[in-house]
Amino acid sequence: MTEQPQTLIELDHVTKRFTLPQGDVTVLQDISFKAVEGEFITIVGPSGAGKSTLLRLMNGLLHPNEGKVLYQGKQMRGINYETAMVFQNFGLLPWLTVSQNIELGLEARTKDPVLRSERVRMYTTKVGLEGYEEAYPRELSGGMKQRVGLARALAIEPSLLLMDEPFSSLDVLTSINLRNELLDIWSDRDNVVNTMIMVTHNIEEAIELSDRIIVLSNRPGRIVGDIRIDLPRPRKKRDKGFIEYVDRVFSLLA
Amino acid sequence: MNSPEGPKGSQTNTLPEIGISQILGLVELLISKGGRDDIYKLAAELSMELGETLTVIKAAELLGLVHTPGGDVVVEGPGLKIIDASIPERKELIRCKLETLPVFKSVRDYLKETVDHEVTREEVLEKLAELIPNEDAESSFSTLVNWGRYAELFGYNDDSQTFYLDSGETTE
Ligand SMILES: Nc1ncnc2c1ncn2[C@@H]1O[C@H](COP(=O)(O)OP(=O)(O)O)[C@@H](O)[C@H]1O
Ligand SMILES: [Mg+2]
Repeated sequence: MTEQPQTLIELDHVTKRFTLPQGDVTVLQDISFKAVEGEFITIVGPSGAGKSTLLRLMNGLLHPNEGKVLYQGKQMRGINYETAMVFQNFGLLPWLTVSQNIELGLEARTKDPVLRSERVRMYTTKVGLEGYEEAYPRELSGGMKQRVGLARALAIEPSLLLMDEPFSSLDVLTSINLRNELLDIWSDRDNVVNTMIMVTHNIEEAIELSDRIIVLSNRPGRIVGDIRIDLPRPRKKRDKGFIEYVDRVFSLLA
Repeated sequence: MNSPEGPKGSQTNTLPEIGISQILGLVELLISKGGRDDIYKLAAELSMELGETLTVIKAAELLGLVHTPGGDVVVEGPGLKIIDASIPERKELIRCKLETLPVFKSVRDYLKETVDHEVTREEVLEKLAELIPNEDAESSFSTLVNWGRYAELFGYNDDSQTFYLDSGETTE
């Protein structure tokens, strides 16, 4: 009775160029990979390798110059409303409260205000923000701000969660806590979203969290490694095998 | 360290400016290391300044999650439970502890006593001044608000600058 996991998103020989005054620059070249439902994938690569661009190709804000992006088997042509994004700098509006920030992404998708506030309440609770509903971003620690970013993305109930270095502007202890809570959300199969693709420049973070690491080279970004992490969770740096993975990813980046 | 009287006693009422996520991260890290670590080693491993590390540890200690025998930091009591607890359970553990801390207790009692269960920021700062040296009152204030919110001990509205008891609790 085991169901074959479905391919959720597929990049098929994707090349992305930007046109600059001095000519075209190829940022991503011949990128092909599939993410199946339930997978947690991280993307690592040097700064400027095209990681953020890759996420924007998946949420449909950008389109490939060559190749195609397929979502649930269909070629994407516009914005992908099945995805939601979490940003490094939280992306919160300072003049809105926590609740209003969480509701932000819902306004374009759900017309019914009652349904919207139910969703807001549900995801406020899920990320531990109950009690902060009325707070403004300026009153919050970095950890709480990123919980708002996460709640806003989850409230959309996307089938794919995209995260662009979500922990890199947090202090080391806060990021430990948020990584654990993110894993709890990911492994909770009752959640609508259990497929996650996250960009990080932290190799240990990638190994700790993901099923698979896609390693990009620099300028243009090409896939130089696609590594399955075969370690039981929860994973610790001192676990047998962890360091071998760190070395493997490092050597691909070098 | 627990003497309630005198300048030392009032100093211990000062709340460190540390967020709940950071404290939980510390406890989670310690648990993954078997529940105990040397403070100097921990700071070095995290590339954190010793002073900053000590402030986080002090915050976790105030919440009853760790204690610090010798140069070590050891997870204790609720700290051992909090990691596997659900989010509402975590909030409950923190709430129980906060209710015993003089600063939180005094603000909460004050809220319960007032007729409409609302007090202003100024009134709370005055209360804090009785418990905390003046220069620390402002920095303690943001922690009071944020820990109080996390534990759902009280609410605070920064537009109207008022504290209030969450609805449904005022009839207890
Ligand atoms: N809209 C754009 N127009 C022109 N160049 C861009 C645009 N977006 C990104 N780039 C360039 O593409 C390269 C990759 O950027 P990015 O995807 O942000 O990399 P990363 O996230 O890996 O650091 C960089 O050199 C960047 O300057
Ligand atoms: Mg980027």
